Amino acid sequence: MTLETEVQSLRQVPMFREVDPARLKLLAFTSERVHFADGQRFFDRGDAADAAYLILEGEAAVTLDGPQGPIRLALLGANALVGEMGILADQPRSATVTAVVATTALRIDRRVFLELLSQFPQIAIAVMRELAHRLEMTNQQLAQTRTG
Amino acid sequence: MGRRTMSGGARAAEGTADGMARDTDDRPAGGRDGDRAARREAIPARAGNDPEAGDASGGLDRSLFRYIWRHSKRDQILICAVVLASLPLYFASLDLPRRIVNEAIQGHAFEKGNETAKFLVLRLQMPDWFGHDLSLFDGFDVDRFELLFGLSSMFLLLVLINGAFKYWINVAKGALGERMLRRLRFQLFSLIMRFSPDALRHTKASEVATIIRDEVEPIGGFIGDAYILPAFLGTQAATAMTFILLQNVWLGLLAAGVVGVQFVVIPRLRRELLRLGRQRQLASRRLAGRVGEVVDGIAAVHSNGAEAWERAEIGHRLGGLFDLRLRIYRRKFMVKFLNNLLAQMTPFLFYCIGGYFALKGQLSIGQLVAVIAAYRDLPPPLKELIDWDQQRLDVQVKYEQVLQQFLPERLLGLDAPGRDESLCGRLAAEGVGVQEPHGPVLANVSLALPLPAIVGIVSDGGPAASTFARVLARRTVPTSGRVTLEGHDLSEWAGAALTRRIAFAGVDPILFPGSLRENIVYGLNRRPPDSAVTDAKALAEAHRTGNPVAPFPADWIDYAQAGVADAGELDALILDWLTRIGMGEEVYRFGLLGQVDPERHPDLAARLIEARIAFRERLAAEGHAHLVEPFDPARYNRQATVAENLLFGVPTTTALTGRALAEHPVVRLVLDRTGLADDLVTMGERIAATMLEIFRGLPSGHPLFEQFSFLSADELPEYEAILARRTATEASAERHGTSAFERLRRRWIGLGRYGSADATRLIALPLAYIEPRHRLGLIDDAFRERLVEARGELRITLDEAGLGGVDFYDPDRVCAAAPLRDNLLFGRINQSVADAVETVTATGTALVQEMRLAPDITRVGLDHQVGPEGRFLSGSQRAVVSLVRALVRRPDLLVLDGALSPMGENRARTVLELLLERFGRENSLVAVLPNDRVADRFALVLRAVGTQIHGPEAPPARQDDVPRQDAAARQDAAAGQDAAVREEAPAAGGALADGPEPGTDPDPEEARRAERDAFAAADAPGAGSSASGGVVPAGAGVAAPAAAVSRRADNETGPEPARVEQDVKA
Repeated sequence: MTLETEVQSLRQVPMFREVDPARLKLLAFTSERVHFADGQRFFDRGDAADAAYLILEGEAAVTLDGPQGPIRLALLGANALVGEMGILADQPRSATVTAVVATTALRIDRRVFLELLSQFPQIAIAVMRELAHRLEMTNQQLAQTRTG
Repeated sequence: MGRRTMSGGARAAEGTADGMARDTDDRPAGGRDGDRAARREAIPARAGNDPEAGDASGGLDRSLFRYIWRHSKRDQILICAVVLASLPLYFASLDLPRRIVNEAIQGHAFEKGNETAKFLVLRLQMPDWFGHDLSLFDGFDVDRFELLFGLSSMFLLLVLINGAFKYWINVAKGALGERMLRRLRFQLFSLIMRFSPDALRHTKASEVATIIRDEVEPIGGFIGDAYILPAFLGTQAATAMTFILLQNVWLGLLAAGVVGVQFVVIPRLRRELLRLGRQRQLASRRLAGRVGEVVDGIAAVHSNGAEAWERAEIGHRLGGLFDLRLRIYRRKFMVKFLNNLLAQMTPFLFYCIGGYFALKGQLSIGQLVAVIAAYRDLPPPLKELIDWDQQRLDVQVKYEQVLQQFLPERLLGLDAPGRDESLCGRLAAEGVGVQEPHGPVLANVSLALPLPAIVGIVSDGGPAASTFARVLARRTVPTSGRVTLEGHDLSEWAGAALTRRIAFAGVDPILFPGSLRENIVYGLNRRPPDSAVTDAKALAEAHRTGNPVAPFPADWIDYAQAGVADAGELDALILDWLTRIGMGEEVYRFGLLGQVDPERHPDLAARLIEARIAFRERLAAEGHAHLVEPFDPARYNRQATVAENLLFGVPTTTALTGRALAEHPVVRLVLDRTGLADDLVTMGERIAATMLEIFRGLPSGHPLFEQFSFLSADELPEYEAILARRTATEASAERHGTSAFERLRRRWIGLGRYGSADATRLIALPLAYIEPRHRLGLIDDAFRERLVEARGELRITLDEAGLGGVDFYDPDRVCAAAPLRDNLLFGRINQSVADAVETVTATGTALVQEMRLAPDITRVGLDHQVGPEGRFLSGSQRAVVSLVRALVRRPDLLVLDGALSPMGENRARTVLELLLERFGRENSLVAVLPNDRVADRFALVLRAVGTQIHGPEAPPARQDDVPRQDAAARQDAAAGQDAAVREEAPAAGGALADGPEPGTDPDPEEARRAERDAFAAADAPGAGSSASGGVVPAGAGVAAPAAAVSRRADNETGPEPARVEQDVKA
């Protein structure tokens, strides 16, 4: 698996869909590929958010510790991006992410990511668009719950 | 003939006759002004009881020649004598060719029908004007052939003998000059050691360095000829002169008159030249000083953006230097012109006036011819003399300029023997005052302290507290009053004794390049080894040049003063202090990054091999074997760079380091032979293309370049051009084919596939490539296999070349060039596994603890180089080194003036606690305190108010208290202290107000207690505790975790290496 396949994966992420391939390659190149064993933590809730992860292979579970043990919020598969909100908002991790099978991920360092954002407006705009999109979704959901 | 014996032909041939030999001894070089003369008179008075300054003022100041004569008269006379002894033989060798031709070949000796002639009639063929030859031996009877061979052999013999003489004389003169130079330099350096504080304030380091290095250099070259040349040539010239006078008094007087004019006029003209010479010397010295200043303060230059200003300033100086030089040249060559004119005047007068007399019949033609012939003999020695004289003037100017820097009034007195008693008892200041140029700093301070004691001097923000501390430390000599101990003035103590008994640590630690250890034991280098230099020759030379005879390098450490028996114990003592102060862990880290010399640390080296194996086993047992890929001579290490895999060792020369590897001839040979060069070129192309693609558009100097790119921003265009050449070449090859002719044609038009320079540039790129990290998909198994083969071949070829340069990895041996950490790990961490570094680090830390390697590793850390002025250390570390340097000396009195402030708050507090605990019983501690915060911890407190020092006051709550007390009592004491301050404060004004000083924040008592507890725990013996956290035996891929200085307090809360490591990464 080389840089090229990682770029392909990055292109699957909505946030990066419209970013120039050369920039995605830079993002991939400046990121690290890391392997997690089954059950190994990506990060714990409350950790400092120092990186986002793009899952290349395998699956990871997003969980919160509840009174009756961990509550699984979501199961992430290939091409899922996780932890990106933390590095953008500069807030501690809001949930725990754990590999449920042997998983390979691309670790996108926070500092490098922000560096790229400040350097290439195109990426920044893509991120903003995605965030605005998510906000709108949330608003709609909120409206539905209010009306419903 | 035979007049130029001494010339050696090396002297610059300038000027024909610009002055005659003079008796130069004691004559002041021209151009002294009244001011200097006055100063010179003042000197002997001060120099009376000071041999070195006496040297400086008498021997050095009055005349270079006196200095030379004083220290080298024996050699000068010896060389002179040898020169004289060589002369008859030299003249004989000049005379022999004539005899060979005349007597043997032309047969003049056999003219009157003689069958035989006399051989070995020793005759000195004297110059024509001397008259008859001198016959010494009547000789043997020989025939013509025998005479020819005899004379020829004699000629050869004389040539050899003369050569031998010349050789000896030249060596002797050279050695003489160098000896004097060594003496002079050493003397100057010794004088620097004695510069008074006032002189030091005005001294620039780089200027003094220039003086000792450059300015005295020509003096050394001159000294060999200083006496011999004028003596010898002067005699010759005088002889010729006498001869002319004998022939005809009037013509003689005429010649003498012209020479006399030269004597009078030329020196006058030269006076200006000397003045300019002096100016030039000063200007170039200042240039050196200025350059030194700029380099020292380069950070300030950059941060203030003053580069342009500095450039203009230096440009201006250079312009001034050029101007001076030009004026010197104009003057010099004008003088030379006049000189030549005067010299040619004499023959003109001879022809003109002598001819007139001859025509008139008052002078015989024969006499006239003889006089003119004799005059022809005059110029060569004269010319030599003139050259010599010029050199003399030059050197003398330099010499005087040098001396100006070393006048006795700038020096402190020599250390005289005196008392050497321990500094215990009643220490009293009696009317002590210190006057600075801008006004009084201390005025009439009188107080008494019972030593040993723990004394704090609370500053009011002014300089008084510091100055008083410096007076106590004998760093500043009071301008009035005195400091006594038990009634004896401290100046009665020998200087050496005081410097041993008093230690001073100021706010600016002064470190020298060298290891931590060397810097710490610096103050113990006081005991010259008992044996003198063992090399008899070196010893004799040292004696002859007034240099020290104590051996160097050697062990100068006074172990007794530190209270230890040997170097091992001293190391332990140093580490103990460092650990207590809280720098043990940092030193341990230095050790991990340090190198283990198997020669010096054989035990550790052996144990490292053990540990290396244990490490692997342990990782395997924990199921983490896959986290580290060990170095295996037969396998490609995927986690290491291509270069590392190729060398399979650590380069010890720059020629094999980094990209230089691609240019190394042996490496290239092997790469070409194994065909790897082509692969690497292709890899290089792909790397360059990728880098060009993804880093285009980033501004140069962007941090991402530095961190990730194989290319720096500046190199992008260059590699772009290389790739463009490739594309063009390939396109051309496709169109025109690849015949030899086409290749030639392409080369002709500049499209050779790659110039070898291009290839080298490309090969340089993949050297740093690691497949799992960079993921460009460039390396396959076949490549790995071939690279491992090339590895073996490279090693053999390098060994054959005998160049060395690589310390190869060997599983059974310590690689001395690699950091200790790498030796322990002996492999590379697989960074693509999450948390690999943390896991491996934890295992390593546990192993180090289990095997008790920490003390040894920390000792290796003492070899850590501190860099120029200690710049490789942090400010806090420098301060610790400076303090420990004072502590290991076990001084009677330790004076701290801001020494703790660079350490940072926590450490400063730890150190203070430690010092308060250690001092006060046998040794005294005096510390300048920025304010009252910690004053309550001191048994006696002095207060600086303006130019006064008040006190001592002893806080009632603490009078007979040991430093450790419970928090409540301390709080009370603090409260009491505060009240006392309030009572007394008005005089001090607002200066006592809290400032942002280290170790003084209004921390809750709890934090203090925690700190103290932490400190108490640190008391546990051994440096082992320092290993409890944050061991980082990470692979080379991880940057040195310099930032990760985890606090001791953290460690005590429980070792949690993974956490620490995460801090490191953050």
